[in-house]
Amino acid sequence: MREKKVVIEVGDGAAIPDPNDEGLFTAWRISFFGTIAIIVYLLVAKPDPYVDIIKFLPDGIVVTFKVTFASIGLALILGLIAGLGRISKNRWFNLAASTYIEVVRGIPLLVQLFYIYFALGNLIRVPDMVAAIIAMGFCYGAYMGEVFRAGINSIDDGQTEASLSLGFNRSQTMRYVILPQAWRTILPPVGNEFIALLKDTSLVSILAVSDILRRGREFASESFLYFETYTMIALIYLLITLVLSKILSNVENRLSHYERR
Amino acid sequence: MNAVNPIITITNVVKYFGSFRALDDVSLTVEPGQKVVVLGPSGSGKSTLLRTINQLEEISSGSIVIDGQEISDPKNDINRIREEVGMVFQSFNLFRHKTVLENLTLAPIKLKKEPVKEAEKRAMELLEKVGMADKAASFPVQLSGGQQQRVAIARALAMTPKIMLFDEPTSALDPEMIGEVLEVMVTLAREGMTMVVVTHEMGFAREVGDKVVFMDEGKIIEIAPPDQFFDHPENERTRKFLEQIL
Repeated sequence: MREKKVVIEVGDGAAIPDPNDEGLFTAWRISFFGTIAIIVYLLVAKPDPYVDIIKFLPDGIVVTFKVTFASIGLALILGLIAGLGRISKNRWFNLAASTYIEVVRGIPLLVQLFYIYFALGNLIRVPDMVAAIIAMGFCYGAYMGEVFRAGINSIDDGQTEASLSLGFNRSQTMRYVILPQAWRTILPPVGNEFIALLKDTSLVSILAVSDILRRGREFASESFLYFETYTMIALIYLLITLVLSKILSNVENRLSHYERR
Repeated sequence: MNAVNPIITITNVVKYFGSFRALDDVSLTVEPGQKVVVLGPSGSGKSTLLRTINQLEEISSGSIVIDGQEISDPKNDINRIREEVGMVFQSFNLFRHKTVLENLTLAPIKLKKEPVKEAEKRAMELLEKVGMADKAASFPVQLSGGQQQRVAIARALAMTPKIMLFDEPTSALDPEMIGEVLEVMVTLAREGMTMVVVTHEMGFAREVGDKVVFMDEGKIIEIAPPDQFFDHPENERTRKFLEQIL
């Protein structure tokens, strides 16, 4: 039976620890336990100022996660629409999706953040966090669009033909046959984008959104402990990213196991 | 000839792939209950012809009328016509994310709005018929090629089509699995299903076919009853083809 095996590599998120890749797996362990060890050491050996710093940050962590989840939700919706547009036979839909992807990918995220924040601010007054979420989601939707397109294309044409021959139309075929299968190919790179997006949310600290980085800057500007504060911030980002990449790795393994049964 | 109205009427069909003429002025009629076997060397256009019948390939010119409906007429809903025309593929194309039972029930539930219980009951009957009832809960990847193809036939039958198209249904199978699939097809033929079969199985063509269509280079070269076709082929190219394969 013909079978297309496609692995989509989008390498801007984090290295996902694969149990088959011993080097990476060991590296994950070293990083993870090393990070925890350093955090614990700093808190115990130098409670002043590190305990104060870490007490100051939880609000920021919550905001970072809020922005991340909301943006990824928006990006998934936009990505699905853009991905469908890219493979659509409708010329205008296709052109609109392609142009969206082309334009968004050609502008740095930070510039987009400023642009959407101030452009949006000129037209309608939206809360800072909403502006940040719209900008992040809009940008990542373009990258997600390419992921969706590749995932949909990875499904054998025979599946579409079988579905059409039963009497399903194109959109029913997409909904009942193609997307449920494409999801498994799409999920790993989507997870990767999720981690990449979480890291990029640090950019929203510029838009007066109190994420981890912003909270850290507030702390540092009062205490003048720049080195200590940014050390703790880097460690916390690293810890979050490592935990997420491990979760993703487990999900991926479960998915490929499902495929193999 | 009798006066039965054909269920498929193909008239002067031409199909281009780019500048390649895959079908060259092809005409053919199939009457209800007839079994038509299409033979020919690879690249002769036989699969393309089959795929134009349910418009998986759109024709460049000519006409195809199924059960009174011109399929290229935008006024006719091609999706409803396709419900009447089941198709079995060389590579099975079972839905990989669905169980065997779900493969059979998906279309009847979503398209014909059959109640789930009823669809499942009928699906089980069909699986019984193709000898696959014990695998109802399995996923396609767990089945052999022959088993997948029998499920694929049952899936097409679940929509109670009037016509069944078979596109080289045994070509992707290991030799020991060909028999089990042909057996199901023979049973179906005996029950009176209208069938158009593209195949290399000469035994099947002879045993089941009402008429044999021989194609080469996008043209229909010869149409004849199987006995006449195999024992007294009229055309030179037909004779050469038969010499090569028999």
